[in-house]
This record gives sequence, structure tokens and C-alpha cells, in this order.
Amino acid sequence: MRRPRALTLPTPHPRRALAVGSVLALAVGPVALAPAPAPTPAPTPSASTPTANRGTQLYLEQCASCHGPQGQGSQQGPSLIDVGPASVDFQLSTGRMPLSHETQQAGRRPPVFSAEEISALVGHVASFGGGPQIPQVRPGDVVSGRDLFAANCAPCHGAAGSGAVLTNGWTAPPLYDSTAVQVAEAVRVGPGLMPAFPSQVLTDRQVDDLTSYVRQLRSERLDRGGGSLARLGPLAEGLVGWVVVLGLLVGAVRWLGRRAGE
Amino acid sequence: MIMRPLARALDDRLRLSPITRRALAKIFPDHWSFMLGEIALYSFITLILTGVYLTLFFDASSADRVYHGSYAPLDGTTTSAAYASTVRLSWDVRAGLLIRQTHHWAALAFVAAIVLHLSRIFFTGAFRKPREINWLIGVTMLALALANGFTGYSMPDDLLSGLGLRILTSVVESIPVIGTWLVTLALGGEFPSDDMIPRMFITHVLLVPAVLVALVSLHLGILVRQKHSQFPGPGRTEHNVVGSRLWPGYTLRTLALFAWVLAVLFALGGLVQINPVWLYGPFAPAESTSPAQPDWYIAWGDGALRLFPAWEFRIAGYLVPAPFFPGVVLGGLSFAALYLWPFIERWRTGDHQPHQLLDRPRNHPVRLGIGVGALTFYVALVVAAGDDILARLLRVPLYDLLALFRVLVLVLPILAGILAFLIARALRRSEAASLGGLTRADLRQATRPGPRHPVGEDEPEAPTLHRPGERIELWPEGELWRWRYRNEAGQLTLTNNRAVTSEEEAVETAGLAYPGVDRIVVPGPPPPPPPGRMRTALRRWSRAAAAASLLVSLLLERRRRGGDQGPQPSDPAESGSPTADEHVRPGGRP
Repeated sequence: MRRPRALTLPTPHPRRALAVGSVLALAVGPVALAPAPAPTPAPTPSASTPTANRGTQLYLEQCASCHGPQGQGSQQGPSLIDVGPASVDFQLSTGRMPLSHETQQAGRRPPVFSAEEISALVGHVASFGGGPQIPQVRPGDVVSGRDLFAANCAPCHGAAGSGAVLTNGWTAPPLYDSTAVQVAEAVRVGPGLMPAFPSQVLTDRQVDDLTSYVRQLRSERLDRGGGSLARLGPLAEGLVGWVVVLGLLVGAVRWLGRRAGE
Repeated sequence: MIMRPLARALDDRLRLSPITRRALAKIFPDHWSFMLGEIALYSFITLILTGVYLTLFFDASSADRVYHGSYAPLDGTTTSAAYASTVRLSWDVRAGLLIRQTHHWAALAFVAAIVLHLSRIFFTGAFRKPREINWLIGVTMLALALANGFTGYSMPDDLLSGLGLRILTSVVESIPVIGTWLVTLALGGEFPSDDMIPRMFITHVLLVPAVLVALVSLHLGILVRQKHSQFPGPGRTEHNVVGSRLWPGYTLRTLALFAWVLAVLFALGGLVQINPVWLYGPFAPAESTSPAQPDWYIAWGDGALRLFPAWEFRIAGYLVPAPFFPGVVLGGLSFAALYLWPFIERWRTGDHQPHQLLDRPRNHPVRLGIGVGALTFYVALVVAAGDDILARLLRVPLYDLLALFRVLVLVLPILAGILAFLIARALRRSEAASLGGLTRADLRQATRPGPRHPVGEDEPEAPTLHRPGERIELWPEGELWRWRYRNEAGQLTLTNNRAVTSEEEAVETAGLAYPGVDRIVVPGPPPPPPPGRMRTALRRWSRAAAAASLLVSLLLERRRRGGDQGPQPSDPAESGSPTADEHVRPGGRP
């Protein structure tokens, strides 16, 4: 099922790469600071602005080894043609990309790139063409959002948004750390096993409602009853029932029995 | 102050004192494990108290209702009245959520305490004659507790419990031929029916609790009638009960336990969230949520449904669907085995004697092995019901875990049972005090079959004719006779707290309680324990002081009256011993 682990670049360390790059630049002198010569003669349509340059450079350093210099994909990574800005922004801003090693499903991590670097990369990958744009999210109606969430999201992410496992080692992650934009991007793009919900299925308005509700789900004010037990449901509650309630009560009973001079 | 005339007035009219005196003198064994059932009892009382409060606000109806309240994501949504009232109860009723959560925690604790109590009864053989009836009543109460837990969990009509109810109706439908009829009969139509919530409600708040209250009363009535069983020990026989009287010792202890139960359950109800139905949303047949499990006491059935392979076949043209075996057959067999166990064991061992003394669990390795194996089986099933949560925590593919559990559920109980059997046999043969006292040689020895009837197992309690160091002392006390049991070796003295009218009667009762123990009549009140040095000195001093003061007062009197009258006849009133009745011990122990 899984592809053989391929040799990849050493762990991408943006800051170290940056540092090495600038040292090299200083050593080589002003020639290296000239904008033109990219390592591969990739057709970069809008290579004139500095942002685009930065995007191209980052892409070639961090992404091209798996996704190919022109985003055509390779043995190690899928094609990025037609994925669109929303997908790139989602994968980068949730820290799922770049990967240090090949896995079936990348998990959420602190993002590797800064916001500017991400937008530069988004711009570069967008130049491959196609795909949904980064959604503009506005505050929506949580009542409608709850309805939509229960109908479309709860079966995998759980009605409480705590996430759940899917088949074959895939998981639907918990939604508490996601920003509104990330939620909207995931809805539009459908990363991993998740289905995509294009605007024919959910209007922008509905996505706004949905993201508002998901953002509210993380609020601890919804855990009105006290400790939430990670919202894992009855078995976690049963475990607490046995360990805490019965533990305390049996302890009390033993204490009372010992005091009786047994 | 008021109580005494009131009690007297009541006694004059109802003649309560003989009953009360007997009731207050009931003896409860002191061992802690006898209070496990009381945890269940007090959880049940908590359930009733909190449940009454909940009925004031819960609307048991499937009719449409628009929710308006503090929970913003549902404000203005049309849901069932049951769900809307539960969310209102949780967010807008004062103390509603506290009481609701306490009710739910109490339900979990209730069943858990029943299971612990049942395990104690099982492993100590307390279900043997004459207590089979109470065993049957107890198992019935366990079944009713499971049923009531499930209806209570389902009544709020939220998405999670709706899925559970859907699964349960499917399990019932899987019974060949009659399944669909049963479901239609119970729900008044197909799932989800309009009648199901009102019906569950009346079952949950009236029918089952009423039966439970009746069975609890019967359970306790039989317990009082049959008296407590007890662990073997010095002075404990098949004919007595050693422990504390109901009043005042045990009353205080059991009320303390009640306070503990209330405190723990309300603390959990206030601090730890349970079943947040507002997050789950109202039930809709087209929706689902994940991870989805029932409460733990139903989860073994869920685990079995998850693990059992999808085998379906036809018998005489009738389909036997896959949920039939893990759902109906397993549940039926489990309770059938529980109901029949006392009779199975009696049939296997041929033991028809009544038993008041409990077994130590180690003395019955086979019973212990079977019990531990069964418990392991059900625990494994409960854990298997959480396979999706475990898969996520362990980062393992779900189906790999499922395959692993299919093996574990069959292998682990056998291993655990054999291990328990061997440990019990090693403990019994080596007479080690605890598990830590076992040596490797003991364990190795336990794997070999030993003598058929080792010492101490199931020996009918033949009274040994000579029991050295033990004796019964009888003495007359005025018109009455009293007796006590003395064990020199154990430094134990148990005074019978009821005086009898004749020596023969005293001999008879003592012989009943301590058969085979030598009896001697001690002249007069038996010697009180030798007073301490301090007390002897005090007594001597007080006597001297009394005599001196008498002498002084006599001299003073004589001087006051002058020499005209003759000497007064002195009254040599001997100052009595200040501690008169030391030998009568206020007895917690009869």
C-alpha cells in the first residue's frame, strides 16, 4: 500500500537555509544577488517582482524535490498543477507541508514558513494554474453553521469537533486549532480523504456559517459542564467513573472498614 | 427532649420497641467489602433524588419544539421537545446541569458498584445456599439497571444516543422471525417512532425504578432475615455473626458512606462534563457522529458487535443476521450464566449444605479462574468498543486493531483465567499471606495436580471435639445466666449480650454458637480484668482518705457535743469500690 520510503532532502530548515544562502551570497558577491539565474531554467511567468522570486526560490529549495520543478509531481509527491492557492495555503499554514519524511497523512504542526513566505509560495504554485482561490471568510450564522456541520462534517470530525479515525490508518483531525480560513480552505479543497465542497454544494455564505460554528466549537464556554475529557464521549466518561468515582468510594469504604477495627 | 415523649407515645400506640430493639441490634460485619453493595444503594438513592428534579423540567415528547435559550448555536432551531427541554435544562435551568450530570455520574457509579458487589459475592461464594434467592434478585437488578441506564441515556434524543438506539433496535430486529415484531411492539412503529420517547420515559421513571425499589427492599429484607454471611476468623462460626450493631456503630458508618457517595457524585457532576448533548445536536436519521460509543455498561455489547465477523446464514428459509450472535445470543448467554451459576456450581461440587461462612477466593481456584476469565472477557469487549479512540491515540490503523482485538478477546480471558487459577492454587497450598509471599517454587508446584481434597477446601464444618485454648464460661448473674467465649491464644473474649433465664438455656445457646468448645461454670461474676497499678493505688488512696475523713468527722462530732454525752456509735460505712461493674463490657460484639 505504502510507497517505499524515498530519499528526500534533509530536514528543511528555512532559517538555516536562509542563513547559508545569505553567507554564500555575501561570499560570492553582488553577482549572486542578481535576480536572474534560477538553478533550473523553469518558466516563471512573473519572475520580475521580488515576491515571485522569493516564491520561486523557496519552491525550488523546499518543494521541488518531491513535487517536481514545474509542479508536475514525481515518485514522492503528487502534481501541484491545478491544486490552486487554497490548497497550498492550507497545507503550508497548517504545517502539513513541507514534509520531512514521507507519510500517509501529514499531521498538523507549527508552520515552517512565515506568512510572507507562504504567500510567495502560494503565488508561485498558483502560476501552475487552476484550483480554488483562498476563500474570503466573513462572520456567519452559527445556527445555520451547526446544521451544516451536523449534516456534512460530524460523521468524520465528530459532532463535538474532536476528530475521529477513518479506515486504513487515516484520521479526521480535531478542528480546534484551525483558523476560519483554514476551515474554509479545507471545505473547498478537501485535503486527504476529505471530500471537496465546491460552491455548487456549499455557497460562500454557508461556508461562512460553517467556519463561524467551527470556530465557536473550540470555545471552552461550550464545555459548560466542567472538564471536557477531550470530548471523547461515553467511554472516557466511563473510565473516569471507574477510576475516580469508584476509586474514591472504594477507598472510603476501606477506610470506614479499617476504622471499624477490622 | 421532644424525641423521648414522642417515642413513648408512638410505642404506646404501635408497640414499636420490640421490633426497634431487634432492628437496632442487627449485626453488620466490619469487613469493608460488605459495604460495596451500599455504594450501589446510595447511588440509587442519589439517582432517585436527582431524577425527580430532572422530571420537573424534562418534556418527554417527540413533538416539534423550537428551542429558544442561552445556547446560541441551537437558538431558534426546531427539534424534538425532549431534546429542546434537555438543552434548556442544561443551559437555562438553575442547577439543571449540575443535577443532570450528577444523575449521569450516579448511573455510571450505580452499575459499577453493582458489578463490584456482584464480583465480591461471586468470588467469596456468598451466593451459595441459603442465599441463592438474593443472588437471583441481584442479577435481576443488574439487568434492570442496564436497561434503565440505556433508556435514560437515550431519552434526550440527541445524535449520539439516537445512534445507540438505532443499533439496539437493529439488534432486536436481528432475532429471526419475531425481531421486527418485537421492535414494532416496543416502539409503536418503525424506528424512530413518535411513541418511543414517551414510552422510554415511563419505563425509565416509573416502571423500572418501582421494580428496583421493590427488589432492593426484598434484597435487604432477605438479608436481614438470613443475617449476614461473614469471613472465617477467630470466634466466627456458621452460627453467629461478628461485627458492629446497627445502632450506634454501623449507623454512623453507613451514613458516612452515604455522605461520601453524595459528595463524590456531586463533585463529579459539578466538575467533569458528561454527555454534552448540546454539542452532539438533535438526532436526525440521516446524520451521525464519531467517535460513538454507549455508556460503559452497555459497551461490552457494542464491542462484541464490532468484533464479531459479518456471518449471516439462513435456517429453514429464515435469515439469521450478523448482529444476532454478538447482540442477542451473547447478552442472553451472559445473563443466563449469571442466573444459573449457583445451581451449576452446586451441581458440579455436590455441595448442598447451607453456608454462612464465606470462602476465601483462593480456596476455590476453579471458581476464581472462571470469574477472572469472564471479567477479562467483558473488559476486553468494553475496550474493543473504544477501538476507534484507541486507534487514534496509538496511531494504529483501525482494522489492524480490530483484528488484534478479535484474537485478544478470545485468548486473554483464557490466559487470565489460567493465571488466576494457578495463583489461587499456589496461595492455597503455600498458605502465603498475600501475592507477594509467593515463591517461584510455590508457583511451579501449583502447575502440578495436587491431592484431590487439600486441607481446608469444602470441609463440612465438623465441630472438633477438643479445641485447646478455647472455652465457654458461664455464670449466674442474679436470676439470669450469662456466658462468654474465651480464646486464650487469640486473647479474645466475646461476651454474649443477651442473658438467658436458666443454665440449660445458656449451655444450649453457647453450644449452638461454639459447638465443641468446652464449657465451664465460673463461680459468681467472672474475675474482672486485673486493675492497673494506677487504679489500684487510687483505690487504696481513696479508701484511706475515706477512712481518715470518717475518723476526722467522728472526732469533730465528739468534740462539738462535748464530753456530756457518751460516745456516738460509729457507723463504719465501708466505702465501696468505685468501679463496680467493670466486667460487663459494653459489647459491639455479641
